[in-house]
Amino acid sequence: MSFSLILRTEGIDKRYPGVHALDHVDFDLYEGEVHVLLGENGAGKSTFMKILSGSLPKDSGRIFLRGQEVEIASPMHARELGIGMVYQELSVIPSLSVAENIFLGRLPKRKPFGTVDWSEAMSQAKRILDDLGVDIDPGERVGNLGMGEQQLTEIAKALSTDARILLLDEPSSALSHEERERLFSIIGGLQEKGVAIIYVSHRLVEVPRIGRRVTVLRDGAKIDTLAVDRADEATLIRMMVGRELREQFPKEEIERGKELLRIEGLMVKGVLNDLSLSLHEGEILGISGLLGAGRTEFARALFGIDPIDGGEVFLNGRKVEISSPSKAIELGLGYLTEDRKDGLVPRLPIPANITLASLKKMCQLGFLKHDEERMSAEKYVEELNIHTPRLSQRIEFLSGGNQQKVALAKWLCCEAKILIFDEPTRGIDVGAKVEVFRLMNDLAREGVGIIMISSELPEVLAMADRILVMADGSFVAEYEGGQASQEDLMRDTVVR
Amino acid sequence: MVENPSGSSATGLGRVKTWVATPELRVRLGIRAVLMFVVVLFVYYVSTAPRFFSVTNASNVGARTAPGIIVAVAQTMVIISAGIDLSVGAILAFSGSLTSVAYCYWGVPVWPAILLGLAAGALLGCINGLIITKGRIPDFIATLGMMGTARGVALILTGGLPVPSHLTAVTLKAYLPEEIIWMGSGDILGFPAGAIIGLLVVVAGWVILTHTGFGRAIFAVGGNREAARVSGINVDRTKIMVYTLSGLLSGLAGLVLVGRMNSANALMADPANLESISAVVIGGTNLFGGEGGVIGTLLGALIMGILGNVLNLHNMQDFAQRVVMGLLIIGVVLFDQLRRRYGA
Repeated sequence: MSFSLILRTEGIDKRYPGVHALDHVDFDLYEGEVHVLLGENGAGKSTFMKILSGSLPKDSGRIFLRGQEVEIASPMHARELGIGMVYQELSVIPSLSVAENIFLGRLPKRKPFGTVDWSEAMSQAKRILDDLGVDIDPGERVGNLGMGEQQLTEIAKALSTDARILLLDEPSSALSHEERERLFSIIGGLQEKGVAIIYVSHRLVEVPRIGRRVTVLRDGAKIDTLAVDRADEATLIRMMVGRELREQFPKEEIERGKELLRIEGLMVKGVLNDLSLSLHEGEILGISGLLGAGRTEFARALFGIDPIDGGEVFLNGRKVEISSPSKAIELGLGYLTEDRKDGLVPRLPIPANITLASLKKMCQLGFLKHDEERMSAEKYVEELNIHTPRLSQRIEFLSGGNQQKVALAKWLCCEAKILIFDEPTRGIDVGAKVEVFRLMNDLAREGVGIIMISSELPEVLAMADRILVMADGSFVAEYEGGQASQEDLMRDTVVR
Repeated sequence: MVENPSGSSATGLGRVKTWVATPELRVRLGIRAVLMFVVVLFVYYVSTAPRFFSVTNASNVGARTAPGIIVAVAQTMVIISAGIDLSVGAILAFSGSLTSVAYCYWGVPVWPAILLGLAAGALLGCINGLIITKGRIPDFIATLGMMGTARGVALILTGGLPVPSHLTAVTLKAYLPEEIIWMGSGDILGFPAGAIIGLLVVVAGWVILTHTGFGRAIFAVGGNREAARVSGINVDRTKIMVYTLSGLLSGLAGLVLVGRMNSANALMADPANLESISAVVIGGTNLFGGEGGVIGTLLGALIMGILGNVLNLHNMQDFAQRVVMGLLIIGVVLFDQLRRRYGA
């Protein structure tokens, strides 16, 4: 089979105030190819995709479609040119049906009054979904679908305009293992039909799984394009980070101290069944499992966000009632939320976010101690290596990794003794991940007990001293550190 | 190299031309030009307004805008917490009426009557907060309901008549006490007392928002309710306190207004809701919550107050003034949007 060149860019350049977002990027894409675009946060991947999909103008450079130079003026224009885009953040409308989402803004009309032809819309949607090989009812409300199916609805929407080029911006980041596998097989099917795909990802493991070639961006510049079989993980990391990362998982052995937390028979009706665990000083307890297994629900129940229906919690051997997050914080717990947006106030500056969970401590008779706040913020910005042009920068203008570090600093600032980390490395780049792991080591060394919830099996396996596997709201297996393999964990969660 | 599409190495005038040629810069220059024009226009009208720069006029503006400023400070805090209070005008009228009725007709002494009005305002605000947080009813709806209720109770209290009315003043010898009249019409060392009270409220609002844990909680709740909750901030309590404060300040504004008008009236300050929201928006506070401040609101209220005064002095018809005020709000917010988009 020979493939013909479908898309080529030449010297695409884009500047924002103070940032060279894209530095003369040359790129090409063949029919039936999955071309993976890798890079750390802020490397320019999303900017590049936005330029190709017409939602952002380029400063200079040229784009050729099948040899013809084109100016992509708008997302509408990109669609007409056969370029479909699936954004990183889901952009489906939950209250509308699958078919309505697929044909948003261009539902088939019936003459003579231009009313919507629903039967046509449903049957066309059905056809597109069938072509994709997915079994979703086009009449279903999108809000009733799982994350994976919502993602597939987006892909169907992008393909509904006969797209020959599909841009996928981190499509797998919110998907469970099974949903991800399904996405890959669908991508495979599209490939066979000659659709060319640019696939942006953070996840190195996916590269050999789906890609034909991989291009690495760093600080807006293209580092290189490699065939996938010549791109092993170490090479890619070096290209992305620009230096050798000695260790991806810098696990330190730390002596386990006395018991900090014991949970007995925690339950939430219909969600969590009879959960028991203990956590010691200096210990990292991993909780692994699929999306929807109840991991986040467990964290929320423990932290007093959602009410519990039964079970007992002991801190340092003393029974406690954790009825609200403020009570949890008072008792020395901290909770790094799964979605960091749930833990940060984007329009407030860095110091205000860092002290958010320790407001009481930062106040005297109700008045804020501004100097103390600034000093502790300075301390954490320094210690956690938070990159920011100035201390008073608003959170919304920081990169994902730096936002995550601020969210972490918030819990360090209130000196939590028990930290729940829910997907601590989601959506942050390799370099920042290592920093987060180092920090976990530091905390453990100071006697903090950490509950680490993660979907990234290699991460849990490497960092946790003990691993609990969760499925359907129960702990189904337990492993000591170093005794489990990726296959064990997978088997426990899937085969039951 | 001959080809140079970006013109980056062009010199002098050539560079200026290519710059101006970019659409973004043209918009940016346009924004500045219009802004300059508006400022010049404003200055022109102010400077040519007959008697604008007189002491009488200045104190007049100060006294007139004071109740509006007090209410706008309350509204600022509510809006920063991602709420909205449509009942400020009604609570203002209710508190003013209650104090007046209590003093004139019920024989309550002056200070207890004043406290009664303020406490009743705070209570209604607190009820707003409770309905919103515990009843999980949108801020807009809860305060809309309170708007009708408070206004209605005020009408019942006063029987729909001014308090004191001419009749009751003559027959019952019921007059408002000096203390209340002083709040609206008196002076402190020549400065109008109402304006001073308004400024004190602005200062208090500024201190609360920027220097207290409560103020920080207001920003956090308005900026990201979920994050505030997970960080141990009591969201419900914060909102209830904000609405209580809003009711209290509305009550205070009611007393100042009654003092200036020498009489209370259940239908007074009808446009206070929208005027306060206008002042907040013109002052740059985000209508969706999480950012803003009372200094901007003070400027917003003053701009509106001064403009109204200047148009009066120029003898513009009241009906036409409403058009100007309406356009002002849209214009200011539009400029703000353009400025953010193009960084002018």
